Amino acid sequence: MRIRDFFLSRRYNLFIFITLLLLFALVLMSLRAKQRKGVELFDAFLMEICSPLQKGSTFIIRTVQGTFQKYIFLVNLEKENRRLRQRIAELQEENNRAKEMKLAMDRLKNLLQFRQENSQTVIGAEVIGQDPSSWFKSVTIDKGERDGVKKGMAVISAAGVIGQILKTAPHYATVLLITDYNSAIDSIVQRTRAKAIVEGNGENQCQLKYLLRSEEVAVGDAVVTSGLAGNFPKGLMVGEVKKVDKKGHGVFQYAELVPSVDLTKLEEVFVVMEPIPPPPPPKEEKVKKGKKTKK
Amino acid sequence: MKRFVLLFLAGILLLILQTTWLSLFPIQRIRPDFLLIFTLYLAFLFPPFLGGILAFFMGYLMDLFSGNTLGLYALSRTIAFFATQFLKERFYLEGFSFQFLFVFAFSILEGGLLLVLVNGLEPASFENLYLSLLAFLLPQSFCTGLAALLLFPLFQKGTSLLLPQPEQGIKAKG
Repeated sequence: MRIRDFFLSRRYNLFIFITLLLLFALVLMSLRAKQRKGVELFDAFLMEICSPLQKGSTFIIRTVQGTFQKYIFLVNLEKENRRLRQRIAELQEENNRAKEMKLAMDRLKNLLQFRQENSQTVIGAEVIGQDPSSWFKSVTIDKGERDGVKKGMAVISAAGVIGQILKTAPHYATVLLITDYNSAIDSIVQRTRAKAIVEGNGENQCQLKYLLRSEEVAVGDAVVTSGLAGNFPKGLMVGEVKKVDKKGHGVFQYAELVPSVDLTKLEEVFVVMEPIPPPPPPKEEKVKKGKKTKK
Repeated sequence: MKRFVLLFLAGILLLILQTTWLSLFPIQRIRPDFLLIFTLYLAFLFPPFLGGILAFFMGYLMDLFSGNTLGLYALSRTIAFFATQFLKERFYLEGFSFQFLFVFAFSILEGGLLLVLVNGLEPASFENLYLSLLAFLLPQSFCTGLAALLLFPLFQKGTSLLLPQPEQGIKAKG
């Protein structure tokens, strides 16, 4: 009788409830850890409910910010006006030089036949929300599966790489930023062509991993995508080397990287829609092999 | 059911504030965690069944919109809720210093729990996360504790307006 009372008691029910809820959370976590996905339909449903509100909230923020910037912060106008006139004269001179450079660059572009730039299609998306937690780095964008966005697609801006699609809903998606500790991108140092993996370190910085100690890398070197991973086009700017550390032992050296894009002020981004095919083997090798067979 | 839906909507509202307005903070990394404060508040005032499910969903929402791929918050927020339920008989929610210390302590404990979980599930990523957690955990928790001083009275006001407690009415009559 006592056992029966215990089983029917409120305290026992509560104990079962707590255990079940915690077990459910654990099962969900292990599912995500194994398959890297959650309850997709439910996730998408919740995202569809929350994201329009996020979009509205972001719109209000931008409108308020715009009003302040346009009308309220207009102090010291005359001083600024004089400074700007001087700056215009400087810029005109700079503009002439830039035009010359642009013409030269166009010619070079045609010569090099930037195949990837022509073949890839991108769609623009607006950033409507930031990561709710302080420990992880992601943003929510207003384009989703209905716009052709899929998990793993690259997200870029004119200044360089931003991240990749982590979760998708019909009209919205979450982007994992390159600074998140879960992010890893196959890259090369532009000057020396040294291969490395760019990993986020949680701050607004990344680190270069698996960079061979024998490779020469200096502060200020640009790091670009290698194009080997498939989702990122080759040659996109990832960031600039900020610190190199060859101390200690081991095969690899350590380097820190500052992303080329200010990921704390993202507003508009591009999603690369077409997967980039892996680059063909370099022509030089083929020539060498051809020569060898001839011999 | 009405209570659940209203509280869930309040949670969504807080999440939206957290993902949009709080990103205007000058130091983006250090910003209060409104949903943690809300979860702890739920634990003080609501029964374990309703509050437990709500706490789970608050964590689930955090997971959904964060770069965290594992779903850590669904577990950590549920644990935080039941731990508070267990402790609530021993404390009074009144008093600024207690509210601050309570939220501050839970924020730190949750940070520790996240580290343990990430270390167990993704040891490769642990190295990157623990450095930032160690660097920012204290100021972040402090900030969340301070926000609790503002939010707890607001939540109390909101609860009394939207969800009048039948027990309170009985007490008033008695």
